[in-house]
Amino acid sequence: MSSHAHVADPDAPVVYEQYEDISQQQETYIVGMWSFLVTEVMMFGALFLIYSLYRWKFGHEFFIYHEHLSWQWAGLNTFNLLLSSFWMAKAVQAAQLGDHKKQIRLLWQVFACGLVFLVIKSIEWIPKFQIHLVPNNSFVWPPIDEPGLGGSPEHARIFYSLYFSMTGLHGLHVVIGMICMAVLATLVKRKSKVITDYIPTEMVGLYWHFVDLVWIFLYPLFYLIPK
Amino acid sequence: MAESHTEHAHHVTSDKVLNSTFLQLTGLMILTIVAARAPIDGPKLLPGFAGIFEGWSTLWFLTNAVALGIAIIKAVQVIRYFMGAQYASGLIRLYVVGGFIGFSLLYILFFDYVARPWEPVRGWENVPSTAFPRDARQDGGVPYPQFPSAKSE
Repeated sequence: MSSHAHVADPDAPVVYEQYEDISQQQETYIVGMWSFLVTEVMMFGALFLIYSLYRWKFGHEFFIYHEHLSWQWAGLNTFNLLLSSFWMAKAVQAAQLGDHKKQIRLLWQVFACGLVFLVIKSIEWIPKFQIHLVPNNSFVWPPIDEPGLGGSPEHARIFYSLYFSMTGLHGLHVVIGMICMAVLATLVKRKSKVITDYIPTEMVGLYWHFVDLVWIFLYPLFYLIPK
Repeated sequence: MAESHTEHAHHVTSDKVLNSTFLQLTGLMILTIVAARAPIDGPKLLPGFAGIFEGWSTLWFLTNAVALGIAIIKAVQVIRYFMGAQYASGLIRLYVVGGFIGFSLLYILFFDYVARPWEPVRGWENVPSTAFPRDARQDGGVPYPQFPSAKSE
């Protein structure tokens, strides 16, 4: 990775007039993206806080409720997201090194991972709608297919409210990430003037890694509750 | 390996670092599944060693701590290497750390819920519809103060 064209680089980034140099400009972009991610941390943070309160209050019951979730499917999704994060980091690296062909291929690979994530999520979600585990007025606990599960229906409802809101908000982020990924890959492919350096890829990458970060915590909290 | 390129202002993370981070994350993911599932399935998986697994159910706090500990290690690795905080400037790192400090401050809310049983409030006594009622202490140590009935004229 040490061989680069040093002369007349068409990928040479543009330094806008308000910045001292390219490094200050890029730092500013990254700080801006992180400030946005801080607001995301706080948004998910509120949900994690609510989860912590109820887990603290109904910990032993939460174990019963989580038995109905599939840790295997979610585990597959965890690996899927880790792989996508890895490819995303590689895409940023390719963008930095100016290897646009590799960058575009990796971006579409990440997009495909997002798609796989949503498919697995639907495999998990759709049966829950069918057996009335969605916390609306038709909520039924114990579930129709596993009538042996105990615990109070009110508390099960709290668990499934948290489950649907947290994985749902996360799923929404996956969808937004995929849209960003597709737009970015298309712009890079068309050699758009909007993309003057690796920074747009870095921004989308930071967002995608954040989506992975949230899932890193959601997985043990919902699917791997110890007895 | 030269990790910095003079013609770029930014740091390019090497393949070696990215690959090893990915392997670490996968390993930690497997570890967290084993840590959470093994205590439950242990006696079934290894019937001859049932005695070893007997104490596991009482170690729920430890297994929770292990699961969260692993998640935190994974998150830190993602932030350091995939998100590049390891090679970022001090200002960027300040933002990275700031967000998570802000998040931990949310947990101050727990003071309220922990303290609710200590000071009962009229009208909130054991309201069954609330998930966090201001219920009486269960330890029997402090008697629950009885409020005079409302509007005793």
